[in-house]
Amino acid sequence: MQRDRQLGLFYALPLGGFLALAFLAPILLVAAFSTMPPKVFSLAHLPDFSAYYTVLTQGYWKSVVWSLGMALAATAILFVICWPLAYGMAKVLGRFSLVLTICVVMTLFVSENIRLFGWVLTLMKGGLIEGYLRHWTGAGFDGLLYNVPVIVFGLVYVYLPFMLFPLAQGIAMVPDDTRQAAFDLGATRWQVLREVELPLAMPGILVGSLLTFVLSAGAIAESKLLGGQAVIVIADEVETAFTYGQNWPLGAALAMVLIAIVGGIAIWGIGRADLDSMMARK
Amino acid sequence: MKLNRRAFTAGLGAAGAAGLMMPRAARAARDNELNILCWEGYNTDDVLSPFRDLHPGATVRAESGTSDPDMINKLRAGEVNVWDLINLNQPWARGQLLPEGLIKPLTKDRFMPYFEKMAPEFSDPAYPLAFDAGGELIGMPQRYGPFSFVVNTDKISREMAEDQGWKLFLDPAMAGRYGVLTYDNWNLIHMCLTGDLNPFEPLDEAGFATFTDVATQIFGGAKLLTDDLVAMNTALINGEIDAYFTGGTYTASPARLDGLTNVRGITPKSGPVGGKGGVVWIELTSVVNNPDPSPLAEDFLEFVQKPEICKAVGFAEGTYNPVAQMGDEAVFSLWDADELDAIQWDSLAEEMAGSVEYDVVADYDKLMEIYTAARRS
Repeated sequence: MQRDRQLGLFYALPLGGFLALAFLAPILLVAAFSTMPPKVFSLAHLPDFSAYYTVLTQGYWKSVVWSLGMALAATAILFVICWPLAYGMAKVLGRFSLVLTICVVMTLFVSENIRLFGWVLTLMKGGLIEGYLRHWTGAGFDGLLYNVPVIVFGLVYVYLPFMLFPLAQGIAMVPDDTRQAAFDLGATRWQVLREVELPLAMPGILVGSLLTFVLSAGAIAESKLLGGQAVIVIADEVETAFTYGQNWPLGAALAMVLIAIVGGIAIWGIGRADLDSMMARK
Repeated sequence: MKLNRRAFTAGLGAAGAAGLMMPRAARAARDNELNILCWEGYNTDDVLSPFRDLHPGATVRAESGTSDPDMINKLRAGEVNVWDLINLNQPWARGQLLPEGLIKPLTKDRFMPYFEKMAPEFSDPAYPLAFDAGGELIGMPQRYGPFSFVVNTDKISREMAEDQGWKLFLDPAMAGRYGVLTYDNWNLIHMCLTGDLNPFEPLDEAGFATFTDVATQIFGGAKLLTDDLVAMNTALINGEIDAYFTGGTYTASPARLDGLTNVRGITPKSGPVGGKGGVVWIELTSVVNNPDPSPLAEDFLEFVQKPEICKAVGFAEGTYNPVAQMGDEAVFSLWDADELDAIQWDSLAEEMAGSVEYDVVADYDKLMEIYTAARRS
């Protein structure tokens, strides 16, 4: 047994080494840069952590709060939208769910920016919606872009597949017999949902929520294209610091703050989800 | 031959080791290689194909960047080994690239004659910012353009916009009627000018206070912020906004060539920098200080001085711009009337005269801090 474990470790070494190099090294590099004094472009300086002080004192928390808040809203909305859809895919639609899957996956073949620009043309003043309405009724309005709700809409639109598929997988884990038994024992629909379906589908819910939350928190295109930067998201601040700001340590520190928050939430979430039971299920 | 796993692995190792031991051979190939880091235009087929035809054995690659600092970051991150030419706006070469040893001077004898054929702004005297303090030639100018703000002349007349200048954006009646094109470094310059400050000289406390007020007011009244000129022009054309802060020939020309000549870059008639209120950018193409330089770098720089290539650079896909070489009749004759109208040729000389050179912003770091904070709130 002891030998097996050692062998396992030995066999895992090359891949482990590769992962460390390809995945951890860039993050460690960013972490190292975040400790450097402002405006330096190499690591050959004494760390002074001043970038973190700047992050704390310059009001960057606003961007962090906006990003996390909108990510939370998008995740909640997606959960509500996707639950019935996923339920249908897992339990009701049968072979038609394949068609639905293909339709949703197909949207991923087109670049996110192009899809969002499509929405700009739809929602803008004189666009598909306002233009036709004005043409038919003579009364127009001011366009639907450049505000916070439209950014959340963009997040919901772009990250729908990332909630839908894990959720469908989660719901598929709820045995029909258990639901039947609950009904037989006199449970109401609400009780079945709350006490049987939600807990049993929890791994799928957690994975879907984590994926959408993490991706939305780091999203930038929705706020730039649809929102007209009505609010500045944290990814935007990171980009500005690295480019126009020419302040790599500040950009690195902002990125580390986001990684720490999102990573913390993700680890907490994964710790609660029983991924093994989900994957092992046939 | 039967190849077992052990032999295959050994062969793979040997091949890898051989690769490591042949850096000299790999280096020699650089005689036939040219990598260009540039703004869009130099990377088009119209420019590169004729050069490739002249150098059939050479691998010529060009990549366009999305901002000056983005491209500089690449060199800073160690890509001086990769690139041979870099094409940026004028202050970066002298202010950052040369002092940090990322670019090197050009052969003066080879390039000085080209200045004589350029438009008067560049030839008499030879364009000063193309030289370092010691008189070395550090880059060749080509595309340029006034860059201040853009209006829809159906809503705001050109005369009114030029007379009001930057104050247009502080007018309470304009709140919610304009956008800000977030080319951050340009916004800093333009916000200083709006507050009657000279961005190229250090500011005092009162200056910073003024800048803070201006930045807050500009962002507060903006209907949208975007760094995408197509999105901004779209909003201007469909009436969502009537003007945008930061813009010029470069951003207005694609709409103008489509016939929407009511989209117009405006250069204010007056301003705080020696009476001027407009700003002009001029691109410089410099030779990267590559430790293993390609001889094709200077060849390419000379190649883009040819009339038809000047036109291809000035009229690349996406945006259209005047080029310094239009001072030469052979180059100028390649532009037709619509194309000249797209680049606002009618007012170009006047606008150039009303503009100061885009330069390094003296208090860049401090202003950037105020700017990002104002944008956030």
